[in-house]
Amino acid sequence: MSATATITMIAPPSKSTIKLTPQSHAEASSSQAPKSQKQMTKAERREQQERQRAAKAATKASGPQPGGSSQNSAQAKKGAPPAASTSASVKKGGKGPDGKPMKETKEMTSDDSARGLRIFSHFGLPKPPGPSKGDIHPTIIRLGLQFSEFKIAGANARCIATLTAFKTVIQDYVTPPNNTLSRHLLTHLSPQITHLVSARPMSVTMGNAIRELKLEISGSDIDLPEQDAKNLLCQKIDDYISERIIIADQVIQETAGTKIKDGDVILTYARSSVVEQVLVGAWDDGKRFSVVVVDSRPMLEGKKLLSVLSAMDIPCTYLLLPSIGSVITEVSTVLVGAHSLHSNGAVFSRAGTALVAMMAKQHSVPVVVCCETYKFAETIQLDSFTKNELAPAGDIFSSFPLIRSKDTLILNKQPNLEILNPLYDLTPPSSITAVVTEVGVIPPSSISSIPLALGRTTL
Amino acid sequence: MATDPLNVANQRIVETLASRLRRRQVVGSRETALETVLVLRQVISKVRFSNIDQLVEIIRSVGRKLVEAQPKEHTVGNTVRKVLHHIREEYHTASQGTAVVSTSKDTLSIAKFVLQGQPRKQNVPQKTTLNESHGMLKENDADDPDAFARTLKPVLMEAIQDVLDELETVYDNISKNAKDHIHSDEIILTIGKSSTVEAFLKAAAPYRKYTVIVADTAPSYRGHDMAQSLSSAGISTVLVPDSSIYALMSRINKVMLGAHAILANGGMFAITGSLLAATAARAHSTPVVVCAGQFKLTPQWNLYHEYGALDFADPSSVLGFEEGNLVDKVDVVNPFYDYVRPELIDAFITNDGDHPPSSVYRLIKEAYDDEDYEL
Repeated sequence: MSATATITMIAPPSKSTIKLTPQSHAEASSSQAPKSQKQMTKAERREQQERQRAAKAATKASGPQPGGSSQNSAQAKKGAPPAASTSASVKKGGKGPDGKPMKETKEMTSDDSARGLRIFSHFGLPKPPGPSKGDIHPTIIRLGLQFSEFKIAGANARCIATLTAFKTVIQDYVTPPNNTLSRHLLTHLSPQITHLVSARPMSVTMGNAIRELKLEISGSDIDLPEQDAKNLLCQKIDDYISERIIIADQVIQETAGTKIKDGDVILTYARSSVVEQVLVGAWDDGKRFSVVVVDSRPMLEGKKLLSVLSAMDIPCTYLLLPSIGSVITEVSTVLVGAHSLHSNGAVFSRAGTALVAMMAKQHSVPVVVCCETYKFAETIQLDSFTKNELAPAGDIFSSFPLIRSKDTLILNKQPNLEILNPLYDLTPPSSITAVVTEVGVIPPSSISSIPLALGRTTL
Repeated sequence: MATDPLNVANQRIVETLASRLRRRQVVGSRETALETVLVLRQVISKVRFSNIDQLVEIIRSVGRKLVEAQPKEHTVGNTVRKVLHHIREEYHTASQGTAVVSTSKDTLSIAKFVLQGQPRKQNVPQKTTLNESHGMLKENDADDPDAFARTLKPVLMEAIQDVLDELETVYDNISKNAKDHIHSDEIILTIGKSSTVEAFLKAAAPYRKYTVIVADTAPSYRGHDMAQSLSSAGISTVLVPDSSIYALMSRINKVMLGAHAILANGGMFAITGSLLAATAARAHSTPVVVCAGQFKLTPQWNLYHEYGALDFADPSSVLGFEEGNLVDKVDVVNPFYDYVRPELIDAFITNDGDHPPSSVYRLIKEAYDDEDYEL
């Protein structure tokens, strides 16, 4: 696709992702590329400087600070992005708690913001898609935008979208002379992958899929004519999607469907594509049950599930996460989806799942996680901090109710105030009763038996 | 005794407050307590009575009316009980002369042991000893029906002023030891907007550097107001959605909650979301501390509905009409309060000291009279 076609495809900026679109607009049109690069790297540099300065100020005396803060306020005048609020907070620190000398408050507030940032700083803020180093395929650019704006969300959806985009990339790829497809295609794909990661951290599903893809590519036969090799790869991608996602989902739907009986009250949290299929499938099979949809900020995805279920006339109850204590006594099963499953049996899933599982376990309600095998990660995760992701600040999901006016709500950072919206959390294996996969129903600790069940040596 | 004890003016005052309570124009534990005390003070100052029982009955009927108007605001009943307790105490002091009936048998019995532990005599019938007139109080005086009231009223007014003072200084007293409860660089989790917790945290702010994580407590989103208030007081605050409470709990040192009412078994009613925070804290062995004034102590139990005070708020804050046709097809639940079991709470910080949930029954025994538990 030509560059001009790409520009028209970029959607009009959504109301609160203003800070993302100017740069992406700029990067899409190659004529403005050098200018945007300068801006972008400056913003990255500024962020890093901010963090270093804050860390230094926390340890040193107040001496070097005025110099540092003035430098930052000078830099803050250029461009919008996240670092501006921290330097603004240092400036505003002067007006801080009454009756204290200005220097002291400056030090205090930068200390505080330093501490706040230090605790969760490794989460990293969502960054706008970086400058294109090397040739990024237009589909990948589009995909990156869709990821960063959360238009495509959910482990399965993102994986399928990524693989489909890669199919296009592979088809458009031409092996340069004196090179083999199996070696060069990998280097060709790397910047594309980096671009996607910079838009939004890679999900475990994407990671596993891409690893398989790379394996296939490096194993492709050198003697095959290029078009055949490419077709073969696309075929393998299709097989992967079909086998490990689509068909796996159908098997899970049948297996989990047997756990649903007439008259059950099923509780589910946020929106899992697999759980949605299970519920719809069970209802189509003639089982009559009711569903409790629990939802929460930041994403409020449960509403989408709610519209799907109520369109099928399934009796639904909707509530927000804090109210779960009131209904859990009447629930027969809890069905949740997962982002990934780790080798110690912990489930990494949408933030809030851990609370739901904990409450359910307290009231002896079985918690069933529906998870395809391709979501398994070989790592061990002990808490929700190491690999989490933050949603961008502001109300991009329109998750606040209309009855409360937006100016009474805090949507952006202020002096002394940070906003944190972790997207995921880790449910410990003790809260989970069973995991339903396409190879069977297993307890969460038996993840190591899966490769055997799949007939291979590793996941 | 046929004189109408509640004259018209009194009735009007009580009715006004009752209708305001019913319409939820007065909301919040402290507000309702303050309003109730003011109404009781007016009632007592205007009412005519010639013996203590009449007075008690009048106050009780006022209390019954108010509690019926809004049974979910427990502090109304608590304040009435407290005032009754003070009235009886003042009365006993005023009629001190002959009234000290001590069970002066020297045998050691469990009953005596228990009774001696009581701060005042509850079961001793005073009526008979007092009809023998003694110096100060003239009860049931046919010639001067107001004599009794006249001598007693100033003392009662003082007692009610005590109750009022206690209510007004509740935040200061609770925050007195704030800096002893919070240590440096601590991370505290709180939810919703409790004025008591807010005062507590602000009191410690000048002495300690710590961080507060506020969960925004859907669907009321009171957490936003709390975060605003704390951060403008210079406390480093982090605002998070409720979904991340479990995720962050491993780094949280203390959970601080406010209460709506403290129940007789040591449990409490608190804003929805408190149960989640307390359970998650228990799962991580994080201490849960509740800041509440003593006027929230309620001699009641939560027997029938394990999960809450059965007070529901507006469902449109959960699923509003902007969702269109979903509104018809879906049931929306929006309970306002959670019931938190005493096992999940580690300490109550009150204006009268810190107590574990297991001693709440003793506090209630000291604060109120047994016969007032049922108004």
